[in-house]
Amino acid sequence: METIFVLLPLALLIAGIALALFIWAARSGQFDDLETPAVRVLFDDEPAPAAPRPAPGEPAASPAPNPPETTSDAPTRRTE
Amino acid sequence: MKGPRERSHLHAAPVACAHCGLAVPEGMLRPGEEKQFCCNGCRQVHDLIRDWGYEKFYGLVEQQGGVLEPARPTGRAFEDLDDPRALEGSSDEEPGGRCRTRLYLEGVHCAACVWLVEKLPEALDGVDSVRLNLASAVAEVTWRPGTVKLSAIARALDRLGYSPHVHRAGAARDARRAEDRATLVKLGVAAAGAMNLMFLHGALYAGEASGMASPYETFFRWVSLGIALPVLAFSARPFFQTAYAGLKSRFVHIDLPVAIGIAVTFAASAANVVRGSGPVYFDSLAMLVAALLGARQAQRAAQRAALERADSLRGVAFLEFARRLEGDGPLAPAVEVPVAALAPGDRVEVRSGELVPADGVVLFGRSTLDGSVLTGESAPVPVTEGGAVWAGVTNLGARLVVKVEAAGEKTRVGALLAVVEDALARRPAVLRLTDLLARRFVQALLLLAAAALLLALPLGTEAAVGRVVALLVVACPCALGLSVPLAVSVGLMRAARAGIFVKDPDALDRLRRVGTVLLDKTGTLTEGKATFARYLGDEAALELATTLEAESSHAVAHALRASLGRRVNVVREVTEVREVAGRGISGVVDGRRLAVGNRAHVEALAAPAPGELAAHAEALVADGFSPLWVAVDGRVVGVGGIGDPLRADARATVDALRARGVRVRILSGDDPRVVASVAARLGIAPADALGGRTPEEKRDVVASLVGAREGEERRAPAVVMVGDGVNDAAALALADVGVAVLGGKGASLVAADVVLTREGVAPLLDLLHGSRRVFSVIRRNLAFSLLYNAAGAALALLGLVGPLLAAVLMPVSSLSVVLSSALSRPFPAAARRAARPHGAEA
Repeated sequence: METIFVLLPLALLIAGIALALFIWAARSGQFDDLETPAVRVLFDDEPAPAAPRPAPGEPAASPAPNPPETTSDAPTRRTE
Repeated sequence: MKGPRERSHLHAAPVACAHCGLAVPEGMLRPGEEKQFCCNGCRQVHDLIRDWGYEKFYGLVEQQGGVLEPARPTGRAFEDLDDPRALEGSSDEEPGGRCRTRLYLEGVHCAACVWLVEKLPEALDGVDSVRLNLASAVAEVTWRPGTVKLSAIARALDRLGYSPHVHRAGAARDARRAEDRATLVKLGVAAAGAMNLMFLHGALYAGEASGMASPYETFFRWVSLGIALPVLAFSARPFFQTAYAGLKSRFVHIDLPVAIGIAVTFAASAANVVRGSGPVYFDSLAMLVAALLGARQAQRAAQRAALERADSLRGVAFLEFARRLEGDGPLAPAVEVPVAALAPGDRVEVRSGELVPADGVVLFGRSTLDGSVLTGESAPVPVTEGGAVWAGVTNLGARLVVKVEAAGEKTRVGALLAVVEDALARRPAVLRLTDLLARRFVQALLLLAAAALLLALPLGTEAAVGRVVALLVVACPCALGLSVPLAVSVGLMRAARAGIFVKDPDALDRLRRVGTVLLDKTGTLTEGKATFARYLGDEAALELATTLEAESSHAVAHALRASLGRRVNVVREVTEVREVAGRGISGVVDGRRLAVGNRAHVEALAAPAPGELAAHAEALVADGFSPLWVAVDGRVVGVGGIGDPLRADARATVDALRARGVRVRILSGDDPRVVASVAARLGIAPADALGGRTPEEKRDVVASLVGAREGEERRAPAVVMVGDGVNDAAALALADVGVAVLGGKGASLVAADVVLTREGVAPLLDLLHGSRRVFSVIRRNLAFSLLYNAAGAALALLGLVGPLLAAVLMPVSSLSVVLSSALSRPFPAAARRAARPHGAEA
């Protein structure tokens, strides 16, 4: 039975590590938003369909003054 | 008004918009196309989603039960976002030269939006990641300033149907977040401690029954002391802090008996551990702390949806950008700049439908302005060259060029928002219900402890102290402390499902006894915008009339277009247009001579109106509408009403409130005559219809009503203010309970305690009713917990309570309170479907 003097502190140590992990998670904001992550995992990611790669920097850099009608600066899909 | 017209349409053309699913109006139908759209906004958004290959979005919306609304891309260039001044307080520098910016997105409704918005990095070079919070609709965008401009990101979001606004995190939000995290850590420590202590004490109880070698027992007791120490010193600190703060201000808080119980339990148990004999109660202690912290955390979580929403609105500036003219002449090109960059003397362009960004004078153009949000005036005001305009009013008509005279905080609306902030800061603190009980509880506890000491003294000092400790342990108001937060958090969650968002749970307390309800008129009792309704006569003529009015920028034309405009997209030939100020408009449409306007105007160009139409017009006038007549080719063929119609449920709600003995008054900034007419139709006495009040006067009326009760007893009837506009915000903040209705503007939503997200004012009744129900649940909970405390105290007086009984009794009593709360239904669940305020449901 003397083993309890070792096992009990050991068990508490493990519990302490779990608690420390929880405290780290809470302090780094992982429990701030409980709603969005819950739905985010529901979306399966399929491989992105291939699309022509735009000229480098084209979509973003073009400072089109009035974009609503023209789609010239429409950001084009980037291939991964 | 709109209802039957739209329905008849649905009947004729049952084609659903490929984006939002609403019926496609006839004029928008494009023959031969597979996909049809109800408006150009939907078409643009759909095309972009298709071009990017994200059509899966629509499947996800359906799967998530989301409802899309017609898309309204603003088409803005968002150049103002490239000015560093616009980003102050909303962006952080990240390592690697990256930038993290918070953007509040309009139109976020369900999980599918999260999917679509977070796809942005795939589509746009230079965007590293996007994280959207569904509850607050705030996206954190990480981007590389060298590769992409923020304006390009904003344009992309806008074209997906989510108009972005720069979001400044307030100090209040940061503080709340930090407190949330700290409470969660405390709860975690207490819960971990409670669970481990339960194991240890389980072994001790078993050992007591079957015999346990004393070295092991001593070891277990010392270990449990070690575990209980952080629970006491760290997790239980908030109880000691509030109890001490209460004592300092000579006030008995519910945390005082809790703190006494915790302190006595710990001290006695620790002393017994050191002595090596006597009962230890560490398991009960940790359980108590964990349960109380858990209940408080539950209440915070229930409040969160409403608070997040208010915070995200608070972080968005009322006026964001201006179109500053670069160059001379009224037609010089305009560049979007942040409002902060405006200086007196600048010339800005204000397009139709946009807000005027600064106080100033019109240099060019003539139009109609809607200032209802600022002043409560329902009638739009015409403005011409040389006329003064104020920041925050909406330009309903044609493009205007305005010379800036004051910008930013020096504008009228800037001063108004300062008044709101001031009123929010001046909110008085209120007593909480359980705090009132706490004083009696502490008195009873001390009396009982004295009695126990006297009764047990003959048994010897040690036994007497043991009994007093047992009494204090068992009488520690755990269930009492749970009663209120649990009942309130269930109430808040059920209210949110019924479309009622309660930011301040104390508002429920104050709503139990309502003395006066002050209702704003424009936008609260009425729909808040001039509409065209109840047309009687030839439908084809109405379509021609709408085409003719499209040539005008008058307020009547605006109302007509707003009510019917979506139907008319057929191109017609319009000639000989002539507008007579204050009377109407005439012209030739597709070869037919048309006159639209007041009766004198149309009868000047046509035969007198038939009796049937005249009678209808009189009925319209009686209901507060201005009749609008239509004549075609010399014959008067129809009449409808222009006005700001009462909400359908206004009369019934006012009647129901009065039936409850509530004094209903109107507090409006609109013309007193209009207010009097609305009051008459609602059966409100003229003396209770206050019109023509400025926002400051509204605030003062509320403040004097609230102040008039000062001398009276504590539970004096509450003053409730219901409103929607910026002009109501200060009054909402100062009232006992401020309620903002659907469609309210940012400042009013921030200032209000309760936000209704269902159409109309009828949810107000649900709110009053629900508050009472929440409190009957609280009373039931208090009865349960006091019963337990009384029984426990009686057993303790007789010396029958040991650690095991205390450890069993506590969760049993708490469970009864948990069940009693969880099974309550204070707000009608039937309205569930109606509540869809951005993620609150999902």
